[in-house]
Amino acid sequence: MKHIVHFRFTLLVIAVVLLLPLCVGSGTLATEVLIYALAALGCNLLLGYTGLMSFGQGIFFGIGSYATGLALLHLKAPLLISLLIAAVIGGLIALLVGWFSIRQRGTYFVMLTLAFAQMFYFLAYTMKDITGGDNGLLDIPRPNLSAFGFTLLPTTTSWQYYSFVAVLFVVVFWLLQRVVDSVLGRTLLAVRDNEARAAAVGYDITLLKLAAFVISGAVTGLAGGLHAMMTGVAPLSNIEYHTSESILIMTVIGGTGNLFASVLGASFYVLVGNWLSSLWPRWLMLLGFLLIGVSLYMHKGLYGLAQSLLRRLRPGDKAGAEIAKEIH
Amino acid sequence: MSTPILKALNVTKRYGKFTAVNNITLDILPGTVHSVIGPNGAGKTTLFHTLTGTTPITEGSILVEGEEVSHLPGYKRVRKGLARSFQVTSLFPNLSVRENLRLAAQGTRPAQALNPWKRPELLRQACDIAEQLLARLNLQSVAERLSAELSHGQQRRLEVGMAMAGQPKVIFLDEPTSGMGIDDIGDMKKLIHSLRENYTVVLIEHNMDIVMDISDSITVMQQGQILAQGKPNEIRNDERVRRAYLGSMITGGKA
Repeated sequence: MKHIVHFRFTLLVIAVVLLLPLCVGSGTLATEVLIYALAALGCNLLLGYTGLMSFGQGIFFGIGSYATGLALLHLKAPLLISLLIAAVIGGLIALLVGWFSIRQRGTYFVMLTLAFAQMFYFLAYTMKDITGGDNGLLDIPRPNLSAFGFTLLPTTTSWQYYSFVAVLFVVVFWLLQRVVDSVLGRTLLAVRDNEARAAAVGYDITLLKLAAFVISGAVTGLAGGLHAMMTGVAPLSNIEYHTSESILIMTVIGGTGNLFASVLGASFYVLVGNWLSSLWPRWLMLLGFLLIGVSLYMHKGLYGLAQSLLRRLRPGDKAGAEIAKEIH
Repeated sequence: MSTPILKALNVTKRYGKFTAVNNITLDILPGTVHSVIGPNGAGKTTLFHTLTGTTPITEGSILVEGEEVSHLPGYKRVRKGLARSFQVTSLFPNLSVRENLRLAAQGTRPAQALNPWKRPELLRQACDIAEQLLARLNLQSVAERLSAELSHGQQRRLEVGMAMAGQPKVIFLDEPTSGMGIDDIGDMKKLIHSLRENYTVVLIEHNMDIVMDISDSITVMQQGQILAQGKPNEIRNDERVRRAYLGSMITGGKA
């Protein structure tokens, strides 16, 4: 029973990836949900667990797209290797961005991540030979998952690709959940709560924040790589500031400090966005209202809302309240 | 006479043109309670900040068991055996009391903190220290509560516990009784008194009753400088201290 507690969120995620195809008609849309959920997970690790509001997540997403695109186009790399390259490069770039940004706190930290986001955008725009500039990197192939010449999992149709992304998503979620439950994750919470005290009891704040940045960058880079394969393009818009903003908004709407919340946030953002945009082209305005609502009244986001609804449905459930407390 | 466990030599801290701590030399002997007193603004807390590495010093030298530590940032001085509490309570407000203490205990092995796989419950030593401290600080009944939800007295005890958790050689307590009610002060006094069995204690305190009762030696500061140093009796009878520091305050407490 004790083990189930550790795995409860991973089990929830498995339920989500199984239910998504039943609720969503398009494989591409369902895949998009998981890809943005991955990016939101990376953002949540920084915002919810380390207290760092990064406006630079789009950098890692965009670079991940380019890295996978280039690996597939020029190196003819297999599926997993090209994604691994995206994660590694995402992590390395995060190390660089983090290295400079965490030297400052609060507003100046945010401004630095914003500055890096702009810088990388224009870098991608300028380096047309590598990134395709304005047009993006086109005709990115999507290889099957194969080993020793055998196809283990085809990725040709959008639902086939969804199955691959879903398996990968569950694995990455499980790994990240493990990280936030680990010594590192729990120490990051201390940094989020009170940096001065964390330093006074012996922790190297810079190193801990960098570790969070690198993990976040790798996960976001992976998401970017998956996105490039999904659309067959690594567009300039993936590295645009708007991507950073979307990832951050999904994370905040979902709720910070719990990884499953990011899955909720991304699902909501992508699915509701998709639905509303078919009704009203100015749907982003509604999103603005929602964000205001979350900021004013719902600091724990959709996850917090779901939690309090569940608690209200089961007033005698003390265990639920305990779990809620544990999650902060 | 034993050799000092902590030695401060001509420690000076300037903020621009303002000298907050001016040329302070201190010898803290092992196993003693050494109090630093003085009126508000005398530079006591700044002296603490420089000794524990919260702020870097401008000039001077700080030796822990003969080893120079003044160039080290605060978090590295923890590994040399220094730990501190803060004048304004500084806890992890959204974490449980037990987790606060566990994290503080784990801080002496910060490399472990980077382990992204191991569950914290498996680091037995830090967990055990946290359990022992919960009992010693009488916080067992609130172990699972968030530290922000504790009463002020409990928070102040936890604040001292955070410094104890690192099992330091020298423990710096910055006004541990600040803002405490009369009932809680007695408990705190007992706690500080009991610390000398395990640690060397450096104490900033305004409550003269505590200072005179439990200190082995006292340093009186005024305007960033040392006005007098000595045993409680000597300080109480020092004419300069009486003049500078409102004689009435100093006469409190037993001999």
